[in-house]
Amino acid sequence: MTIKNRDSFLNNLAANLGRPRRTESVERPAYSVSPQKEAWKDATSEELLEVFKEQSIKMSAEVEETTEENLPSLIRDLIVREGNSVIAAGGERNDLYGLTEMYEELESRIGEVHIYDSALGKENQVIAERADVGVTFSDVTLAESGTVTLFNDKDNGRSISLLPKTYIAIVPESTIVPRMTQSMQVLREKEKSETEKTPSCVSFITGPSNSADIEMIKIVGVHGPVKAIYVIVRDS
Amino acid sequence: MKVSLFITCLSDLITPKVGQHTVELLEKAGCDVDFPESQTCCGQPAFNSGYLQEAKQAMKQTIRAFQHADYVVGPSGSCVGMLKEYPKAFEEERAWYVEAKKLAAKSYEVTDFLVNVLNVTDTGSTFKGTVTYHPSCHMTRVLGVKEAPRKLLENVKGAEVIDLPEAEDCCGFGGTFAVKNSVISGEMVKEKSRHVSETKAEYLVGGDMGCLLNIEGRMRREGKNVKVVHITEILNAQEG
Amino acid sequence: MAIRIGDQPYEGRVKAGVDNTFMREAVSSAQGRFRSGKQKSSEELGNWEDWRTLGEEIRSHTLENIDYYLHQLSDKVEERGGHVYFAETAEEANTYIQGIVKKKNAKKVVKSKSMVTEEIGLNEALEEAGTEIVETDLGEWILQMDEDPPSHIVTPALHKNKEQIRDSFRDKKGYEKTDKPEELAAFARQELRKDFLSADVGITGCNFAVAESGAVTLVTNEGNARLVTSLPDTQVSVMGMERLVPTWEDLEVLVGLLTRSAVGQNLTSYVTSIIGSKLEEEVDGPEEYHLVIVDNGRSKILGTEFQSALHCIRCAACINVCPVYRHVGGHAYGSVYPGPIGAVLTPLLDGYEDHKELPYASSLCAACTEACPVKIPLHEHLIRHRQIIVEEEKKSPQTEKIMMKGFAKWASSPAAYKLSEKMARTSLKPWTKEETIEKGPGPLKGWTDVRDFPAPAEQSFRKWFKDRKKGEDS
Repeated sequence: MTIKNRDSFLNNLAANLGRPRRTESVERPAYSVSPQKEAWKDATSEELLEVFKEQSIKMSAEVEETTEENLPSLIRDLIVREGNSVIAAGGERNDLYGLTEMYEELESRIGEVHIYDSALGKENQVIAERADVGVTFSDVTLAESGTVTLFNDKDNGRSISLLPKTYIAIVPESTIVPRMTQSMQVLREKEKSETEKTPSCVSFITGPSNSADIEMIKIVGVHGPVKAIYVIVRDS
Repeated sequence: MKVSLFITCLSDLITPKVGQHTVELLEKAGCDVDFPESQTCCGQPAFNSGYLQEAKQAMKQTIRAFQHADYVVGPSGSCVGMLKEYPKAFEEERAWYVEAKKLAAKSYEVTDFLVNVLNVTDTGSTFKGTVTYHPSCHMTRVLGVKEAPRKLLENVKGAEVIDLPEAEDCCGFGGTFAVKNSVISGEMVKEKSRHVSETKAEYLVGGDMGCLLNIEGRMRREGKNVKVVHITEILNAQEG
Repeated sequence: MAIRIGDQPYEGRVKAGVDNTFMREAVSSAQGRFRSGKQKSSEELGNWEDWRTLGEEIRSHTLENIDYYLHQLSDKVEERGGHVYFAETAEEANTYIQGIVKKKNAKKVVKSKSMVTEEIGLNEALEEAGTEIVETDLGEWILQMDEDPPSHIVTPALHKNKEQIRDSFRDKKGYEKTDKPEELAAFARQELRKDFLSADVGITGCNFAVAESGAVTLVTNEGNARLVTSLPDTQVSVMGMERLVPTWEDLEVLVGLLTRSAVGQNLTSYVTSIIGSKLEEEVDGPEEYHLVIVDNGRSKILGTEFQSALHCIRCAACINVCPVYRHVGGHAYGSVYPGPIGAVLTPLLDGYEDHKELPYASSLCAACTEACPVKIPLHEHLIRHRQIIVEEEKKSPQTEKIMMKGFAKWASSPAAYKLSEKMARTSLKPWTKEETIEKGPGPLKGWTDVRDFPAPAEQSFRKWFKDRKKGEDS
C-alpha cells in the first residue's frame, strides 16, 4: 500500500496555517453544546419502537412485527409474496432465529434459495442480481430516522441488501437505539478494540432507494431495492 | 430620557415624514428628542460595495455626530444594523474601535427601542385599513429585530394585519445591488409585488425606507394602488 | 469541465437565466419544497441552533488541525489496504486516476455523483484516455447525456423538465415510453444496472472522511454509490481535502446536519461508510482501493479570513433560500458551485479575474448565512470579496470609483451634505414628473429601468426639525 506526496502536501497546509506541522497530540476540544446526548434521553424502549415504526413508514418502508417464534414463517411468507428467489446473509443468527431450517424447506417451493457464501466468490453477485428478495439482519437500528445499520462482512455481503428488488431487514427489538449517535459509539468501540476490526463497509439503510432528480418528484426504487420491508422481532 | 435621532440620509432627503413620525412617537413615549446636525450617511452604500476606505470616512463622521448621545434611535433596521457593524471595520484602529463600540452599544432601531427599552407595546394609535408587513432582511437577520414591529402593529386600533406570503424573502433592494444588478433586483421586486397583491391589503408597511421605496416604485410602475407606509406612520396615526 | 462552466459573460448568463421560464418555475418550486422540508426536519430534531453551533465547532476544529487529521486518515486508509494520493492540483489528481484506469486496462468506469470531480474535470481527462465514463446518479446521467453542466449541487438536473429528459432518452438511448418520472427512472435503472455489472473501476466523491477510521462516507438516496463501491474490483474515492471529520461521533453530527439541510430528511436512504479495500474472504467491495485527496486551491484559503468557507458541507441550504439563485438559476454563476457558497468559493479557488461579478450577485439579504448549518458567514464573505475586488484587485468600474470618492467627501462633510438638501431636488427636476422619476439619469437608470423613484422632498427632515424647534423656542 502506498501514500504519495503526503509530506509536501501537509507541510504546505501547516505553513498556510502559520504554524509547524502537527503530527501528534491533537485533542478534540470539549464542544460547547452536545444536543446529540440530549435527544431521546428519556425515551423508553417502547417509545423508541413506536418512533422507529413511524419513521420507517414515512420513509416508504413496509413494517411488520412478529415474535421470535413466528419469524421464520413470516419471512417465508414475505419471500413467497415478493417473488420466486431469495438471497440471504449467512451467519449464526440464521440458526439462532430458526431461519436455516426454513430456508432449507423453502428450496423445494421456489426457484432459488441462496445463503450468501463467500467461498463462491463473484457468483454471489450474479445470484443477488437475479434474486427477487434479499434478506439480512440489522446490526444496529436507529429509531429517529427509521434506519437499519449493516456491518457488512464476508457473510453479509453488500450486494444482498442492494441488488434484489425487495429487501427484507430483520430487526431484533434489542438492536433499536435512539439515533445515529449510539451506532457511532459502537463503531468507536470497534475502532479502539484490539481484537475486533471495523467492518470494511457500514451501510445505513433507510427505506427503499429513491430519487427526486426529475422535477423534484419522488420516485421510489432507482438503483437499489424498489421495496424495503422491516420485520421487527419483539424480544421474548 | 434623552434620545438622539439618527434620521438616515434617505429619510432626511427623500421621505422626511418618517422622521417627523419618529420624533412624535418618541416624544409621546416620554423621550426628549434631539437631532445632531452633523450627521450625514452611515456609510452603508460604500461599505456594501466594497469601498471600505470611503465608507470609513462616513462612519467616522457618524461616530463624531453621535459622540455625546445617550441613545441613538433610527427608523431603519438596515442603517442601525450598519452602526452595529462599525466595530469590526475599525478593529485595527484602536481609538476609533473604542468609539465605534460605544456607538454600536447605544444604537437602536425605533420599534426595538420602543418595545425593548421603553417597554411600550401599544403606541395608542388608530389606523383604519388592511395592512401587510414586510420584515426587511437587515432588520430581521442582521439586527435580529423580529418581534417588536409585529407586536406594535398588532396593537394598532382599527388595523387588520394580513400575513405577507414568503414575507422573509428579500425585496431585491440591497442598496447598490438595485442599480448594479438591476435585472436580478427587478425580478426580485416583481415577485415581492406579486406577494403583496396576493394579500389584497390596502397598505404595505415596513421598517426600512430603502426596501419600501423599492417595492413602492415597482408597484407604481405596475399601476397598483397599494399604499406604502413606514411603520412609524401607522404607529403615530390618530383617528380621523 | 472544470470549475468554470459556459463561455458567456456574466450579463449574458443572467439574461439567459431570467428568460428561462421553465427553469425558474422549477427552481422556485424546488426551493419551496427544500425549505419546508428542512424546516420540518430541523424543528423535529429540536435545538437546531445548538446543532449548528456544534457543527461549526467541529468544522472549525477540524480545519485548524487539518494536517494532523489528514495524516491520521491516510495512515488508516493505508492500514486497511488502500492507496492514498495527495494531489495539489487538478492535473495531478486527474493524471493519477488516469494512471489507475490505464493500469487496469479499464474499458468502463462507473461514477457516483461528486462535485469535486466536476471541479477538477475528471470525466474529460478520463475520456481523453479512451475510457467510457458512466455517471450513475440519475440527475448526472441525464446531464451527461446532454453534455450539460449541473445547476445545483444536490439536484444537478433541476433545470430540466421531464419532456426534455424523455426526448434525450429517446434520441440517445432508444427509450420508447412516456415522460412519467417513474418510467424514466425505471429505464435508467435497467440501463445503468448493465453498466454497474460490467464496470472495471468505480469512482466516488466523499461527503465526509473519518480520520480515526479511514472511513469515506457517501450520502445518497438512489443507492448508486453503494453499487459503485460494491461491484467493481477497483475503486477510487476523490475528496476535497477539507471534507473530513476527526471521529465517528463527529461524523454523525455532520451527516445529520447535511441530510436535514440538503433534503429535509432525518437521514437519506443510504449513508455508506467505506474503509479501504475489502477484507480477506469478502466478495463484495473493491480489491484495490485508492483515496485521492485534492487541494486544487483550497490550501490558499487556510489561514485567511475566508477559512470558514472550507467548513462547507455542500448541503445547498444557502442555494435553496437564495432569491438571486431563484431568479437566475445555477448556470448564471458560471461555476460548478452556484449560489451564495459558489459566489464565495469560486473566486477563492479560481481567482477573481473570471468571477469578479459573483460577489455582487447578492442583495446581502443574509438568508444564506441564516440557513447555513455550519454557520458560515456567507454574506459577510461576499462583502469582504467586494473589498478585495475594489481595494486590492482594483477591478471595480471607473465610474463607480469616482462616485464612491464623491460619496466619501459628501458623507464626511456636514457642509457638503447640507448642500445636497436642495441640490438633490433641483438637479433631478428635469427628470421629475408629478413627484416621480420614471427614467432616471446616470446611476439612477438601473433603478428606473424596473421601478419608479420618488423626487427628493421639497423640505428635508432637518429643515422641518429646525423650524419646529424655532417655533417651540419663540
